[in-house]
Amino acid sequence: MMIHIKMIGNYRDHLPPASKNGMIEIEVPDGTTVHDAISRFGIPLDDSSVIVLNGLTVDMNTPLQEGDVVTAFSAIAGG
Amino acid sequence: MYIFEGKASEPVYLWVNEDQVEVRSAAHVWGKEVPETTDILKVETHPEARVACIGPAGENLALMAAIMNDKNRAAARSGVGAVMGSKNLKAVVAMGNKNPPLFNPDAMRDISVDTSKNVGVDIKKGSNLRIYGTAYVPQVTNTLGILPTRNFLQGTFEHADKVDGVALKEQYLIKNVPCYRCPISCGRLTEVPDGPYKGKGEGPEYETISSLGTGCGVSNLAALTKANYLCNEYGMDTITTGMTIAAAMEMYEKGYISEDVIGMPLRFGDHDAMIAMIHKMARREGFGNDLAEGSYRLCEKYGHPEIAVTARKQEFPGYDPRGSQGMGLLYATSNKGASHMEGDVAYEEVFGVPVKENPLTTEGKPELVKHFEDSFALIDSSGLCVFLAIRYVFSKERMVWPVRLADMMNLTTGAGYTPEEVLKAAERVYNLERMFLIKAGSGPEHDTLPHRMLHEPLPDGPAKGKVVELDKMLPEFYKLRGWDEKGYPTKEKLEELGLPVS
Ligand code: SF4
Repeated sequence: MMIHIKMIGNYRDHLPPASKNGMIEIEVPDGTTVHDAISRFGIPLDDSSVIVLNGLTVDMNTPLQEGDVVTAFSAIAGG
Repeated sequence: MYIFEGKASEPVYLWVNEDQVEVRSAAHVWGKEVPETTDILKVETHPEARVACIGPAGENLALMAAIMNDKNRAAARSGVGAVMGSKNLKAVVAMGNKNPPLFNPDAMRDISVDTSKNVGVDIKKGSNLRIYGTAYVPQVTNTLGILPTRNFLQGTFEHADKVDGVALKEQYLIKNVPCYRCPISCGRLTEVPDGPYKGKGEGPEYETISSLGTGCGVSNLAALTKANYLCNEYGMDTITTGMTIAAAMEMYEKGYISEDVIGMPLRFGDHDAMIAMIHKMARREGFGNDLAEGSYRLCEKYGHPEIAVTARKQEFPGYDPRGSQGMGLLYATSNKGASHMEGDVAYEEVFGVPVKENPLTTEGKPELVKHFEDSFALIDSSGLCVFLAIRYVFSKERMVWPVRLADMMNLTTGAGYTPEEVLKAAERVYNLERMFLIKAGSGPEHDTLPHRMLHEPLPDGPAKGKVVELDKMLPEFYKLRGWDEKGYPTKEKLEELGLPVS
């Protein structure tokens, strides 16, 4: 199935060159979880990492569905 | 600390040189914009002096007038610039080299080194705050569906990538600029090198992008950056300026205000009209005289108060609380009217700092809001920046536990505060402000949100269908605060905090 990965800010550097505006569409096998999908990109996940599925706060072991958007960013307290 | 009472008969400024204080005429800078005022006052006082001044907006008592520091930094919200203007006080200029001695300089140095090494990713080299400044946030709030768009008619903006930190860095960033000695340096010195929006200055930061940009449906980054420069030059809060124009745009599009009244069409996304409104507002020219009263009074005057997205008559900052419920409770109860800087629970709901909370739920939010409000009172009182300090006010378990902050205060002053005492002081600050508001006629009846937030569900994005469930949070919040069910601090609470009861 096809899903979208979106990286914000400094995590964009971990996307392959084919990405556009911090976004890329990839194919993943059924049963792939949020965590699996993000792990493919070698982001140095730490305390600051926030990962959301379709903009929602979910468990990292949630299985993905066709067309899902997984977004990751390193959080700052700011705004 | 200086307290200004009454009103000067002529424009003046205050010149504080070490321990000498002098009131001087400001007749020659009255009417001048912030950068020119700052330069002139430095020439006639000291080249190293620091200047906090108002621009034409403050002189004209525009209710969104800010006090501008070092030209580009704003004490922005709640119309404090208009308060200076009302006193004929153009500026406070200060110079001093006699720092009071630290109580324990060696230990203070050690704790500073440890803090910069071990607290927070914000400070590290590749952090978003350093690379993109707060302008990295539109992508985050857009993803969560809480990016104020077209006066909060929507929560996502289709052109967010045109007005975010990446675009800003690629197109206009010259360099980062820090506040005094800050290792993060989140400020942005930018330049639009040519064209109709040519200019140079600081910004835009997130809150400016979400108001003058997405709030007005504007996706032209050059025009938005120029609008930010203009606000700095006139001395105006970009949030209230942008969201007031956004409200006027909605009124125009719905036919509630005519082109004749405004003097031109005022559609969402029309960046030139947005810029024209800023000039009018600062100068109170024509329709600008209505705009200068802020969106609440503007919308009320033209018969549609439901369009104003305000709490205690102050415009919302850049987080739509329908998709960030804790922020809804914060805006409703903040002592400053809608403001993120009174206890920004978006840190947890949006950014996960220090831990991620689900922004769409109300459970636990009253407690979270109370913690954040007290923590912000504490950080503000200590003179630190919340961006970093928030990381060492909270413990991992998210209880407010300001050990490091108390240590720093003690090493500076020798006062010997315990974390418990420091926290009690924060609660006292919050309650004292509350008592002031009650006396000033802005009591618990104002702990509410505008129509759009309570009755118009978000039409788009991940928070689609949500309104703010304020009634699920407010009673518990009052209880946690030790207030009665109507929202008045109880006699017991005031006595506990050492505040006067009547
Ligand atoms: S003190 Fe705060 S606002 Fe100023 S540069 Fe540092 S992080 Fe940014």
